[in-house]
Amino acid sequence: MPEFVAQSSLTARGDAKRPRRSLFFKYFATLFVAAVVPLILGAVIEASFGYRDQRRHISEVLQSEARGAAGRIEAFTDEISDQLGWVVQFPWAQGDDDRHRVDALRLLQQVPAIVSVSLLDETGTERVFVSRLRLNRTGRGIDLSADPAVIGARANKVWYGPVQYQHESEPYMRIAVTGNLPAAGIAIAEVNLKLIWDVIAAIRIGQTGYAMIVDDSGQLIAHPDISLVLRGRTGSIDFGRIKYLVGTTSRGAVITGDKGNPVVALSVHAADIGWTVIAMQPIVEAFAPIRAALWRSSLLIALGVLIAIALAYWRAHRMSGPIKQLEEGVERIGTGHFDHRIGISSRDELEQLAIRFNEMASELAISQQKTVRIDRLKQFLAPQVAELVEHSAELLEAQRREVVVVFGDLRGFTAFSARAEPDAIMAVLREYYAAVGAVTTRYEATLIRFAGDGVMLLVNAPVACDKPANHAVQLAIDLQVAVQSIAGKWCAAGHAIGFGVGIAMGTATVGTVGYEGRLDYTALGNVVNLASRLCGLAKDAQILTDRVVAEKVKDAVPLVSIGKHVIKGYDQPLEMFAVAQGNLPLTRPDSGLRRLEIETL
Amino acid sequence: MKRRDFIRLVAGAMAFPVIARAQEARKIYRIFWISTGSEPDPFLDGFRDGLRSLGYVEGKNVVLEKHYGNPSALRQVISQLRRGDVDLAVSSGPATRAMATVKDIPVLFALSGDPVALGVVKSLAQPGTNFTGSTFLSLELAGKRVELLKDICPRIRRLAVLSNTDHPGEPSEWRATQQTCAGLDIVPTYVPFSGAGELDNALEVAGDSDADAMLVFPDVVTMVDRAKLAEFALAHRLPSMFGWSEYCEAGGLLSYGANQRATYRWLANYADRILRGEDPAVLPVIRPEKFELVINLKTARLLGVELDTSSILFRANKVIS
Repeated sequence: MPEFVAQSSLTARGDAKRPRRSLFFKYFATLFVAAVVPLILGAVIEASFGYRDQRRHISEVLQSEARGAAGRIEAFTDEISDQLGWVVQFPWAQGDDDRHRVDALRLLQQVPAIVSVSLLDETGTERVFVSRLRLNRTGRGIDLSADPAVIGARANKVWYGPVQYQHESEPYMRIAVTGNLPAAGIAIAEVNLKLIWDVIAAIRIGQTGYAMIVDDSGQLIAHPDISLVLRGRTGSIDFGRIKYLVGTTSRGAVITGDKGNPVVALSVHAADIGWTVIAMQPIVEAFAPIRAALWRSSLLIALGVLIAIALAYWRAHRMSGPIKQLEEGVERIGTGHFDHRIGISSRDELEQLAIRFNEMASELAISQQKTVRIDRLKQFLAPQVAELVEHSAELLEAQRREVVVVFGDLRGFTAFSARAEPDAIMAVLREYYAAVGAVTTRYEATLIRFAGDGVMLLVNAPVACDKPANHAVQLAIDLQVAVQSIAGKWCAAGHAIGFGVGIAMGTATVGTVGYEGRLDYTALGNVVNLASRLCGLAKDAQILTDRVVAEKVKDAVPLVSIGKHVIKGYDQPLEMFAVAQGNLPLTRPDSGLRRLEIETL
Repeated sequence: MKRRDFIRLVAGAMAFPVIARAQEARKIYRIFWISTGSEPDPFLDGFRDGLRSLGYVEGKNVVLEKHYGNPSALRQVISQLRRGDVDLAVSSGPATRAMATVKDIPVLFALSGDPVALGVVKSLAQPGTNFTGSTFLSLELAGKRVELLKDICPRIRRLAVLSNTDHPGEPSEWRATQQTCAGLDIVPTYVPFSGAGELDNALEVAGDSDADAMLVFPDVVTMVDRAKLAEFALAHRLPSMFGWSEYCEAGGLLSYGANQRATYRWLANYADRILRGEDPAVLPVIRPEKFELVINLKTARLLGVELDTSSILFRANKVIS
């Protein structure tokens, strides 16, 4: 379960807000829609079409069974009326009763369902009565001319009476038939309807389907379970309701059957006798094929869901691993581990992404190293040089160019350092370097080196600047102001220290010089020596320049020539210039005195 | 397609058909067979036939506990019967009267008399008690039997009527017989007896009477001794009328009534339904719808009964020659 491990580690990092499992659910939803929805649709469509077909098929079966049953029942009653027709063929004659009696007895023998037969003459008077149960009668008997059977038979030749229940249990009906000759009289048979049970019980629709007969009033006449019939009118099942619900549709209806279970039922009406045959099949059996299909589909759907879950889990797992790696990798890189590499080999876009991340990390590492190096360099080199070292090293290559060299030097420092405590010396130097550094940075000059109390600055190399001479003079003035202001403090502390500056301009060889492990940027040439000499000649608070500088800045800064002096290394005495005192905003009141002191040192 | 139908369909389709029958078949049912007759018992054979055709196997899923004896002995047995001892009791004839006190065990009966009159059921359509079964319509057929006897032997004037008074419904059966006899100009001689023990005595009485025909009410006791009765009738040259075909097979001249064996076979149906949990109170009492007229030609010949002129032969359902 690496996924869950990932989740818990995330939680530990307090990053639980992100829903990690959503990937799984997204995949699942997609696969579900792709695989299970078509299955469900298929199942529903199959079920509905199957239902329609099965419904039609069942309707056909039920219809044919019900029709068959109705036909057999009509055959049953037709046979009885036909047989009755035989005993009303001859007219009644004197002394003929016995012949008619034998006819009636033979009829009983012929048709088991007939319980008794009455033979009436044309007046409607009973002449012969034979029965299976009661005693036979022969001879002129009761007048039945007002009996509905007689009236009905006279009207329609054949009359079917209503169903009646003997002992409130056994269904009976009377059938009356007249002969072709009115003189032949009328035969009335009492029929035990239990005997049509055979017709109904023989009907099997499928395994559990059956048929039943009800009359127009909804009374049960025949049912495979004869005991339901024998309950007569006391039965608890309302067959009239069933008959009503089934209706007369040829498609069959889904109703609650007499056993309380849902059934598909269809009815056929036997018009002659006014009975209805209802054929029914329990739904459980009728739609068993559809149920089987539904179960099959359900299984498929369940399988589909399982496959969707498995695939979704697998895909999500495949995704979450690399994503976790990416996430951890980015986090590590974010915390500065630029050497971290993300190892994903999924041969897809994720691997591509990891490669990009790795590339980014290495770029970041290089950039980081550069920055660190520059920062380090800046501590030792002039910031400009340090930048150039990294970015445009060619500028540092040896070349000849016009530069302005500025030398500065403390006056009286040697004496001071000889008698002062090391702490005081270092404190003075620290303040001095800080002041020089601040001005150098402000003027973006290149600080070549500090050497004890001396400092060498370069203007216009390696970075070129506009009007380097003016720039250098302004720098020197600011340098004087800055150092003089702290020198005042030193004097107040009893240390007589002054500061002089020399500036020279000319062509020099500039570039880096050194060996592997130590590089210096430096300038070589007469101009450097000249600046150094000028510095050496300069008095406290004085700025000396050569002629070149003086020429360049004469319009901006007033310079005063202080005559020609012989300078070591030069054959001819060189004219030197000093920045006019007015341009040096020296505010120290005792500067003149101090200057004297320093000069005498 | 109506939506309601479809919902019903789905509901019905998802419901597994319950297979309860197979589990029920594991149980061994105990059926109490109680009769005033004795073995061999043709009624029991019919009932067993019925059970067999319904898939019951004796000793495997059904046990028949048979109790034979006179009514007082049976009462003794019945008084010791407790609920739960048996699943169902089946009784015939006088034994049903003895069973009448049993209220908590389903009882199936086969009666020739009227069970409503006996008080074991409230109506034929709806018994409403722990009793149900079959009635043979003996009472209704009593007159018919005399009529048929008169049809075959129009000359008979005096009729000996053998009747087991233990039999429920016996007085009304006798009354119906008397009425018919009066209509047919026959003088009946009532020969009552109580149980198998008094039968020989009764036959002596009947033999001493100057009867020219004999009518025997159908009953378990006379059924057991049917051969003896048939022999007696033949010895005294009496045309005899019985209730069931078995009497004719044993040598009686005529019988008219329902087929006993078929009725008992059929009773097994009800036994099955009650064992499967149906309430006897709502199972209607069955009445036979088929009656068989049986004639023994051999006996007729021995008695010299002229059959050609009567309509009896074509009316007979079964002719024994």
